[in-house]
Amino acid sequence: MTDQPRPTWGEQLRDPSEKTLAVLLLAPAALLLLLIVVYPIGRLISNSFFDLRLSGRKGPRFVGLENYALVLQDIDFWNAAGNTVLITVITVPGALVVGLGLALLANLPFKRQWPVRLALLLPWALPLSFAGLIFAWFFHTDYGVVNDVARRLGLSSAEQPTLWLLHPWLAMTAICLTIIWKTSSFMALILLAGLQMIPKSLYEAAEVDGASRWQQFWQITIPMLMPSIIVALIFRTITALQTFDIPFTMTRGGPGNSTETLAMLIHKTTIDYLDVGYGSTLAVCMFIISLCITSLYIRHVGKTA
Amino acid sequence: MTRATEPGFLQPRALLFFAAAAVVLNGFFPVLWILFTSLKTEAELAAKPITWWPHVPTLQNYVQAFTDQPLLRYLGNSAAVALLSTAVSLVVSAMAAYAIARLNLKHRQLILTAIVASSMFPLVTLLVPIFETMRSLGWLNTYAALVVPYTVLNLPICTLVLVSFFQSIPKDLENAAMIDGCTRLGALWRVVLPLAAPGVFTAGILAFVNAWDEFLLALSLNSSASMRTLPVGITLYQGEFSFPWPIISAALIVAIVPVAVLIALFQERVVGGLTQGGLKG
Repeated sequence: MTDQPRPTWGEQLRDPSEKTLAVLLLAPAALLLLLIVVYPIGRLISNSFFDLRLSGRKGPRFVGLENYALVLQDIDFWNAAGNTVLITVITVPGALVVGLGLALLANLPFKRQWPVRLALLLPWALPLSFAGLIFAWFFHTDYGVVNDVARRLGLSSAEQPTLWLLHPWLAMTAICLTIIWKTSSFMALILLAGLQMIPKSLYEAAEVDGASRWQQFWQITIPMLMPSIIVALIFRTITALQTFDIPFTMTRGGPGNSTETLAMLIHKTTIDYLDVGYGSTLAVCMFIISLCITSLYIRHVGKTA
Repeated sequence: MTRATEPGFLQPRALLFFAAAAVVLNGFFPVLWILFTSLKTEAELAAKPITWWPHVPTLQNYVQAFTDQPLLRYLGNSAAVALLSTAVSLVVSAMAAYAIARLNLKHRQLILTAIVASSMFPLVTLLVPIFETMRSLGWLNTYAALVVPYTVLNLPICTLVLVSFFQSIPKDLENAAMIDGCTRLGALWRVVLPLAAPGVFTAGILAFVNAWDEFLLALSLNSSASMRTLPVGITLYQGEFSFPWPIISAALIVAIVPVAVLIALFQERVVGGLTQGGLKG
């Protein structure tokens, strides 16, 4: 026992030691993550082993791996998984190319920067669901601007307009174009910041060496931009795998379920049909798929870094 | 310098004009098109071929947007949820960011990574357990059901932005305040936070936009008509068989304007915050 008086609780709160302070400051974030991420993960995994429907009167029944066996045979699951991967494979590179184009254009020495910057920020700030609604109107069979432009260019007739959202492949095309439009501006903002960090002296030196613009682009711009490109790609891939809002607002997964994504299938199974057990199993499978794809990227980043 | 060598069609002025036009058109056209649609009369809308510019502009669709559905209520819900979650996100992430940036933590990098990695977790997969949690807490169809998850959603970007702001503030200022008799918390409150105000503001805008835009949780957790946020409410304007496009367009414009004004006013901060969070993540 020491004679030194220990600080009272009040004193500790007013002037806490480094360690107490760290715990106090990090506690709210930790609690929130526990409630919204960690506990749900545990709950999700345990639910996936149960037959658990909120609609019926029966309580949860342990079924082991039965749900997983059902998922593997579920045509709807494979359809949704295929659509999700298709959307990712098309829209991530698509948004990168469009975003890079926008960034290169926006990097030109304009006198006024704000119109261009705002034009990149507006699509970013727009909710995905609004982009879906707006583009559903763009692709409207009779009153859409897309069919109007096609008619003016002589690509289709007014009598036989293209049924964009009523045909499986065309609906998927429309959805992918919408996602690319919506997400390319965020790409462009990240890439623009990367472009602005490339020292001008590199280009000047290349100019002296007689390198063409094309060579400069591939030898200087792209390699120097690589870190930004990889970051943008990782972000985009993670969000592409979760695609929900745009197909939901444009087609509700239709026609049939030709544009239904995994996120939409999980939402339908749990929120609409209240089948929590099976929905959780679907979610675990979706998580495994996204983990596989993102870890491929992370490994790639590890190699290049 | 290099201008003289450029070929004719790349004349700087012409090139600049077309480049700006392309970027601006790409960004603004969809919203402009919705604006035009919202100003058209029913008769003009039914015309074929379609008109581009509204010939007889009318505000009737805006009136109907507010009377057909409780648009004002949706606006209020969205504002309440976005503002509350922004406030909570800022407090929670400022505390965490200060600890990470300033305190002598053993696993500083690990803690930051854990917070950022939580954003990598696909939210959709957690929809079911979050729904269950909110259901058992009796929070479904309340603001809390959205404010709490949105705070977590915003934690990574806010923490990243704030950590780098806190790190940019010289430690000596804080030490000086403590020598002058401030406690550590006093120094945080009186010296560090005021200096980090721009960072707090930037993080706040990003959090607000994220919360304002969120759709899946809002759709799933707050489904009752009086608790819907704007993105959910506007999606449900459509009837069983009809799509009242001019009215939806008017509602969209009403919903887009607040955020558009916000980002127009604070463009540089938003871009700075986004790229900072993005490049470090």
